[in-house]
Amino acid sequence: MIDTKKYIFTFVITSAIFATAFFTSTFFSNKRIESVKSIQDNIAIDILSSETQFSLLGEVPCSNVGESSLSPELSTLGDKLSRTEADRGTEDKDVIYLKKYYSLLQIKDYLLSKKLVAKCGVAKKPIFIIYFYSNQGDCPDCEKEGYVLTRLKEIYPDLRVYSFDYNLDLTAIDSMKTIYRVKSSLPALVIEDKTYIGFKTVEELEKLLPDTLKVATTTTTVSKKVSIKQTPPKVIITGTTTVATTTKTAD
Amino acid sequence: MTYTILHGLMYPFLFLSMYFQIFLLTTFFENKKKIKHEEKQKSEVYPTVTIAVPCWNEEKTLSATLDSLLELDYPTDKLSIVVVDDGSTDKTLAIAKVYEFKNPNQITVITKENGGKHTAVNLALANSKSDLFGCLDADSFVAPNALRSIVYYLNVDATVMAVVPCIHIRSPKTFVQRIQAIEYLINIFFRKTYGELDAIQVAPGPFSIFRREVFEKIGVYRKAHNTEDFEITLRMHKAHLKIMNSHKALVYTIGPATFKGFFYQRLRWARGFLENALDYRDLFFKKEYGNFGMFMLPLAFLFVFYGLYAAAFIIYGIFSQLTTSFTRFMVVGFHPHLPTLDFFYFNTNVMSFVTMVMFSMFLLALYVGNTLSDDKQEFYKNFAAYFFVYPFFVPLFLGRAVIDTFFKRRNEWVLQDTKK
Repeated sequence: MIDTKKYIFTFVITSAIFATAFFTSTFFSNKRIESVKSIQDNIAIDILSSETQFSLLGEVPCSNVGESSLSPELSTLGDKLSRTEADRGTEDKDVIYLKKYYSLLQIKDYLLSKKLVAKCGVAKKPIFIIYFYSNQGDCPDCEKEGYVLTRLKEIYPDLRVYSFDYNLDLTAIDSMKTIYRVKSSLPALVIEDKTYIGFKTVEELEKLLPDTLKVATTTTTVSKKVSIKQTPPKVIITGTTTVATTTKTAD
Repeated sequence: MTYTILHGLMYPFLFLSMYFQIFLLTTFFENKKKIKHEEKQKSEVYPTVTIAVPCWNEEKTLSATLDSLLELDYPTDKLSIVVVDDGSTDKTLAIAKVYEFKNPNQITVITKENGGKHTAVNLALANSKSDLFGCLDADSFVAPNALRSIVYYLNVDATVMAVVPCIHIRSPKTFVQRIQAIEYLINIFFRKTYGELDAIQVAPGPFSIFRREVFEKIGVYRKAHNTEDFEITLRMHKAHLKIMNSHKALVYTIGPATFKGFFYQRLRWARGFLENALDYRDLFFKKEYGNFGMFMLPLAFLFVFYGLYAAAFIIYGIFSQLTTSFTRFMVVGFHPHLPTLDFFYFNTNVMSFVTMVMFSMFLLALYVGNTLSDDKQEFYKNFAAYFFVYPFFVPLFLGRAVIDTFFKRRNEWVLQDTKK
């Protein structure tokens, strides 16, 4: 009356489909990790190359130090890493490893920018925010602050945001915490070497950002419009990275 | 933590659901040849049949129901129709009398005080002597071939004790009826495969035909939580009486037109299912009751709770997504972005793969249901209504039915016809 074979057959088929789903999912998940790793490796090479350039700087004029040294890929990498973390969980070994690597790259990028400013002056001065967060459920405002910073990056594409997981077990992050006197009350933001504790809205942060950033962004818009009209812009305000880049494109 | 547990429980649920789907599809394709062969057969033997039409205030639909019965392709001297007026307060009795007057050899009208559907059907049964006995609700209509298709199954196999038809929603107009049109279409597939497994869950009110000896062996209809047809089916399984499905026997029923009507009808069914299943719990996990006792009935019972859980899981997911969007909106305002096409951001987790496979199998079952029936539907027209609304509707009546059953709430009020 009961066809046991069919019950077993169905079990085998169902298990096979689940196993395939599991393997496919793992395959793509690993692909993601590989992709993040490869981006990180590229950035590491970029940074190493810039550092090497700096070592040679005595012999190279400032104008030869390209923009590329300040890796714009870092921001994309951050997004992809958050996605990977959401997928695999905060406890995942690969995720922790990648986050540590990412944090180090951010610190390196940050230091490099500082060096560049010291050697070549304000012309290359980037604006950055250092952001400490926690995603262990002890920082209800961190999610909100994340949205604010994402929005801020959309408004000011030249802004660099370096985010650090406060709880990540990495001595370099500990040193950053010590330097900027960041305690466990989060979110914490460092702008122009000043530390701010607690949630800040887009408007509040805009007030804290140096005016040069805002000018740069406005100018970008203007010069883009000009470039559509095919008339090379005779720009204008010097002293911001964006102006230089956009003018090049327009030419 | 709560989420992890919720999430973890989802996998056994998905596994069981997929197992169930594959089990049914395997059964269907295994028996496809036999099913196709049955379609070509015609019965030339005509046992006597009595069809009871229990009515309680059915003045709007009774004429059409009786007309459809009179048009059945079946020798008139072998088919009697007994209209039982269960204390109607409208023109039901008058209409029935007119039909009796016009067709005195075929139609008999009995009137009695209101006592519920099962009393009406039992009265008709007591007044009949035919080989076969069935019932047609006064809001349902049969296609001319329906009875002959059903009788074929009873003629070729003496062990078949009852045959259930293929039911469609009659000309679905309202949104709610369109949802039911799809639901009934998929049920055509379910009923056929359940029949092959000897595990039909319910011999429904509209036009299930029984051999007389069924009632002699197990007794007549009983008052059973407002779902007498489910109770008698369970009783038949308990007595090892075989029920089959005739997918070519078309029956049309009027589905509730409003959400309220739909909700109360389903609440009555779900509550009836739970109460009767509990009454017949000794069928559960007994090898002697075959696929029905070992697998289908316990699974149906489990799915009531798992269905609620899955709904909670989905609603929780949607709710947390909305909370996130709302928080973002409150913090930075609304700045829409085009979705990224970067493959990196595609969802490739186990659950989405499994769900995709299950959805494809569901579509296959729907397609099979549609091909089985002689009345092919353009189901894609109503599919969106079903797909986006039905899953949110089901937990409402299931949840209420579970609560009502648990607290033993009286629900006599659902006795009123929910289709109106």
